[in-house]
Amino acid sequence: MSETGKKIREFVISRFPLAKQGRLDDEQDLLQSGIIDSLGILEVVNYLSEEFSVVVSDEELLPENFSSISKLTSFTERKWQITGASD
Amino acid sequence: MEYLTHHLLEASASKDPSKEALVHGEQRLSYADLDALSTRLAHALIDAGLRRMDRVGIYLEKSVDQVISFLAVSKAGGVFVPINHLLFPEQVGHILQDCRPQAIVTSNAHLESCRQVLDDNADLGVVFTATESAVSLENKQVLNVKEILARENDEPVHTRAISNDLGAILYTSGSTGRPKGVMLSHANLIAGSRIASTYLNIHAADRIVSIVPFSFDYGLNQLLTGLEHGATVVLLNFHFPNEVVNCLIREKITGLAGVPSFWSLLAQPSSSLHRHEFPDLRYITNTGGAMPQPVLAKLRESLPTTDVVLMYGLTEAFRSTYLPPQELDRRPTSMGRAIPDTEIFVINEDGTLCEPGEVGELIHRGPTVSLGYWGNAEATNRVLRSNPLAPPELRDTERVCYSGDLVEMDEDGFLYFRGRRDSAIKSAGYRISATEIESVLSSIEHVREAAAIGIPDDVLGQAIVGIVVAQDGETLDPGEVLGFCASKMPRYMTPRRIEIVSDLPKTAHGKIDYQSLRSRITGAGVSPA
Repeated sequence: MSETGKKIREFVISRFPLAKQGRLDDEQDLLQSGIIDSLGILEVVNYLSEEFSVVVSDEELLPENFSSISKLTSFTERKWQITGASD
Repeated sequence: MEYLTHHLLEASASKDPSKEALVHGEQRLSYADLDALSTRLAHALIDAGLRRMDRVGIYLEKSVDQVISFLAVSKAGGVFVPINHLLFPEQVGHILQDCRPQAIVTSNAHLESCRQVLDDNADLGVVFTATESAVSLENKQVLNVKEILARENDEPVHTRAISNDLGAILYTSGSTGRPKGVMLSHANLIAGSRIASTYLNIHAADRIVSIVPFSFDYGLNQLLTGLEHGATVVLLNFHFPNEVVNCLIREKITGLAGVPSFWSLLAQPSSSLHRHEFPDLRYITNTGGAMPQPVLAKLRESLPTTDVVLMYGLTEAFRSTYLPPQELDRRPTSMGRAIPDTEIFVINEDGTLCEPGEVGELIHRGPTVSLGYWGNAEATNRVLRSNPLAPPELRDTERVCYSGDLVEMDEDGFLYFRGRRDSAIKSAGYRISATEIESVLSSIEHVREAAAIGIPDDVLGQAIVGIVVAQDGETLDPGEVLGFCASKMPRYMTPRRIEIVSDLPKTAHGKIDYQSLRSRITGAGVSPA
């Protein structure tokens, strides 16, 4: 797994304690499982901005981008390629 | 004559049967549909043995089946108990033990996770599942809601219930102890609907979006005002703010209600709320805590043609005050004045009326004062008391609600919130008892004692901090403590961080000194976990 993926995974585990229960699969649905709720999304957005300088627009707030660790990771890496931002 | 909760639905259904009553995603129900489906479930409840005043727990996500269930229970003469779908077996178990429902309506997923607490509940005879496939439970009759709703048994149901009968129980937390069940009569529920729809001017053309849980009086009231006036109620579960914005546009929503953390989410700089116009959105309402002023300013900028109505209330007496939108510029920090048909007064420690500008306790008198807490006369008598201002001859004729909130009134009768008398935590619109969090923390291995406090937070109002002391010679890991909490409580109750300390400050009586604990935690400049 990429560095980005590892960081995101660590963040999710530290901020969303329900993720600690059992082994968190990178494909596991974080929204349906109740690990991340609507207020939690806000924390994820702030984290992506602080850690990776990735600015998330409202239109990008979609399950396709946010519902699992692997989706969050590829979304973040895709945003880098578009904007050239890096950490 | 409409005197029971479901009469609100029936009256609207007879006036305009084909009018759209309920929308959830692709599902659209007319008033006639909602009336017929709730009658079918009411028959099934009665056939399963439900009697007048029997409780029925409704433990479902926001859904059409959930609304049908409330109305069906009312039709069958029972008492509906909405259970927040976010709750875990620990909290659900408490509610079931406390109000001993005879039946529960739930989903297979909840049924699986709560199998043990359902099994343990001997009073619970019937389980209705809203999921297609069948499951079985030992010693319980399991019925399928989908099959029941497909049976065309539309004969009207007759109940001997009257408006003084208990209609619903809503579980809410105080500052200490487990959640208590606030008992609402049908008369309370209908008075709440009449009052709110008067000051919000609800009418048949309204399309109200429901986001606030029905286990909140405020959420339930939205549904009832909609049904009373033949309006359309749109149910929405969401994760992302743009789902709300899209729903407002797609469904031409006219009314939206939320709690402060919801508005913070919706008013984020990136939110698409700021890039659309909402000509249909007539009003928004806030309750469950004060709306932060910067959020209020942003909402007003993005919603220039929408009325903003700030409200205040507590489950024990439904809503108490609202700020008319035209007063917002003059008194942006006010919680408003009494709702219609309600008297609000402020009294000091001596039990006499406060002068304008003097801080005292808010007392609520009116038709929405609840019947008290289920099975807890002692707690009821603390909150609901005789009217201190009534002449002696009338003193025992009614009870008023002592809110526990400290407020002051200005010369014009507008109220301003000044604080709570006790240490209840208010986070994300929920009133949370420190005791409930502490009991989870204390159940962790190697924890000697524990406390929970709320500290100021921009989005949540208050964020919960758990403070634990390890047993002698043992060590605790904050991350593991958090993980345990998250497995036992919904996210809104789970502490945002854990502090490990060597001792807890105590009062002279040996109780936890929350005030000095709070200043120790907030003053020490500790970094977040």
